[in-house]
Amino acid sequence: MWAYVVRRVIVTIPTVLAVVTLCYVLLHLTPGGPFDAERKVPDAVLANLQAKYHLDLPLWKQYLFYLRDLLHGDLGASFRYADWSVNDLVARALPVSLAVGGTSLLIAVVLGVALGITAALRQNSAVDVGVMLVANVGSVLPSFVLGPVLVLVFAITLPWLPSGGWDDFAPRYMVLPIALLTLINVSTIGRIMRGSLIEVMSSNFIRTARAKGLPMRLVVMRHALRPALLPVVSIIGPLAISSITSAIVTESWFSLPGLGKLIVNGASDRDYTLVLGLVVLVTVMAVLLNLLVDLAYAWLDPKIRY
Amino acid sequence: MITLARALALSALALAAASQAATIPPGTQLAARQEMVRNNGAEPESLDPAYIESVNAGEITRDLFEGLTSSDHHSNVVPGVAESWKQVDATTWVFKLRRNAVWSNGQPVTAEDFVYSWRRFLDPKTAAKIATTYAVYLANGMEVVNGKKPVTELGVRAVDKQTLEVKTAGPVPFLPSVVSVAQYAPQPRATVEKFGKDWTKPGNMVSNGAFVLKDWQVNSKVVIEKNATYWDAANVQLTRVTFLCVEDGNADLKLYQSGEEDFMQQIAPGSYNALKAQYPAEMHNGPLLGLRFYALNNDDPLLKDVRVRKALSMVIDRQILSDKVTADGQAPLYGLAVKGLGAIQQTRYDWADWPMDKRVAEARKLLAEAGVKPGTRLKFTYNNSDYHKKMAIFAASEWKTKLGLETDMDSLEFKVLIRKRHDGDFQIARHGWIATFNDATLFLTLIQCGSEVNDQRSCSKKADELIAQGNASTDPARREALLTQAARIAMDDYPLIPLLQYSVPRLIKPWVGGYDDMNGQDRYRSKDFYIIKH
Repeated sequence: MWAYVVRRVIVTIPTVLAVVTLCYVLLHLTPGGPFDAERKVPDAVLANLQAKYHLDLPLWKQYLFYLRDLLHGDLGASFRYADWSVNDLVARALPVSLAVGGTSLLIAVVLGVALGITAALRQNSAVDVGVMLVANVGSVLPSFVLGPVLVLVFAITLPWLPSGGWDDFAPRYMVLPIALLTLINVSTIGRIMRGSLIEVMSSNFIRTARAKGLPMRLVVMRHALRPALLPVVSIIGPLAISSITSAIVTESWFSLPGLGKLIVNGASDRDYTLVLGLVVLVTVMAVLLNLLVDLAYAWLDPKIRY
Repeated sequence: MITLARALALSALALAAASQAATIPPGTQLAARQEMVRNNGAEPESLDPAYIESVNAGEITRDLFEGLTSSDHHSNVVPGVAESWKQVDATTWVFKLRRNAVWSNGQPVTAEDFVYSWRRFLDPKTAAKIATTYAVYLANGMEVVNGKKPVTELGVRAVDKQTLEVKTAGPVPFLPSVVSVAQYAPQPRATVEKFGKDWTKPGNMVSNGAFVLKDWQVNSKVVIEKNATYWDAANVQLTRVTFLCVEDGNADLKLYQSGEEDFMQQIAPGSYNALKAQYPAEMHNGPLLGLRFYALNNDDPLLKDVRVRKALSMVIDRQILSDKVTADGQAPLYGLAVKGLGAIQQTRYDWADWPMDKRVAEARKLLAEAGVKPGTRLKFTYNNSDYHKKMAIFAASEWKTKLGLETDMDSLEFKVLIRKRHDGDFQIARHGWIATFNDATLFLTLIQCGSEVNDQRSCSKKADELIAQGNASTDPARREALLTQAARIAMDDYPLIPLLQYSVPRLIKPWVGGYDDMNGQDRYRSKDFYIIKH
């Protein structure tokens, strides 16, 4: 298995390189530059700025400089934020996104799996219908509807929690954003878990287990759960990435200083280095999460061996 | 040449203006907790006076660093580190620094600090994005920014520890207003050199303003606390101010409604009337020294003809635009100068008071004379926001229903729009202009020949001459008359379509004292605020 892990990690390098290159070219092709402002920057100042950020060099040279710095773990200087490097900005935003996205995903997995099992084992009962109703509502209501409702109820009508903002990981600021992301994810995971478990429960090896006289609890926990988790595990990778990075709506609604806000601002400011840095980060995270998912497959399914 | 009597009068005026900080009406009971939370919009790009460019970064920076002068809640220039100043000749000014001005580490603020900071700001190596905006006023300023002269040639000199001499590139009668901007605030040399880029971080920063930096959580908040060493600390009421960095108007409103903030940045477009009805006592909507206009490309084959430009301007009903379309209390405009702008009188087209039918008839006649037939297509470029879209649709419908002209709408992202505008790659484009300090010159640059901000590419030699004459005059009344005449002449060429004067609608909690609606620069020093007992 270790050989497989090493092979996968090596394959990551060309993937990241390809993404960085593509993004680099696209960013520089986008009309409008980082120094375009209402007041046109005079040529002399523009020359100074371009020299400062190496924009005066041919594009291929700039690109090679960028790669060199990247290899040293340096994501460069931000074009907009004079007092912070991209490393500084990412180092501050990533923990926020991880805390909110990670916690909500963890809760969503535990809750979603539990709800999915409950619904699957009582298929077509009132409990099943109830659970699936909640799950479907959660998945059809977009975050920009659920978010305001949560704020209206818990921040304005009942002034229990702040409607947004952030203060050094103070829990009261994290409750509503985590609740919103959890609501969205739990419905997806719950529905997948239910469907998957229903399918597994009707397979031959479960019938055998039941024929042996095993109690239902053991049949589920020992035999059915592992294979039923496979589709859930495969959805966790993309869900994790989207919880952490594309929570743009959530972050803007709750004014969270996370990665989503940085990506949006970086793109509109044409902050080339900031956007590239975030793309590198997201790519690496996506590749690593996919690797973890693949390894989890091997653990869950005896048929898969690397 | 200025007379001695006038110089004395000016410096006396400066001293008389020395009423500082929060003026608290008698009988006001102050709250025990003098803390305030202000939403300040976008994350500041920097807290280093040499690097800031945005309004919101300036707002925090001016609380941390005090320049020679400052601007109070009525947009008046008031003494800062300089306790008095005088203009000794047309291009020389002398600022007297107060002896009790100190940095937060106890070191005195000296004239040398200003020399160092101004040189640092304009040094090409610093590459400050808006260097030329302010360099243009100082002797050798542009040469220094352009790397043609060393920074030591900049027109600023420390005569002694408390005396700063400033030489201007030409007559700059409004210099005290210019030096009130955050970019001309002093920076602590020893700290800057010790920490480099990190000197603005909490724990490192040394500042000389009414407040010191306590905390900075990127994209979340900047917290400042009262500076005990500030020379006017006795008159500073607030002990702690939190600047939130919330850009989304709805999120801003929710924070206000849930009591998380006392002061909104700005309400979301389209919500003014509803919120005003809901919070009549808390809604403030002061005019801003800002002009909403549509830039006309004067080089465009169709718009080259002044008759076409005039016709397009005449038929837009500003009153309907203001009352029904933007519906947020912005005043209609028919000239370049906005209300409250210094050193100029507002001008107004004579047709502004005509009934609309007469305006339309005249506009049609002008178009016919210019050979423009109904059905001719215009191209309108704006940046993608609902607000600008609404305005653009209104303008297009005015041109269609009143003149029979068709308009192709081109919605672009902001950075793309300004690039196209600067490059002259447009026909009609949305534009807006907000004063960074209060003087007519800032608006006149919009129409001056060859000006870097004249996206219209218009040119009136006569207006340029009058502006030069006005700026050379040391008589404020004559200067005002000349600049007004220049604006009138330039605007009679219809280089652009003036529409509305910006305003800043925002909600403020009733216990916040010291807010003034008549503050055209929308610059609020936290030292002028206080919290009323509630």
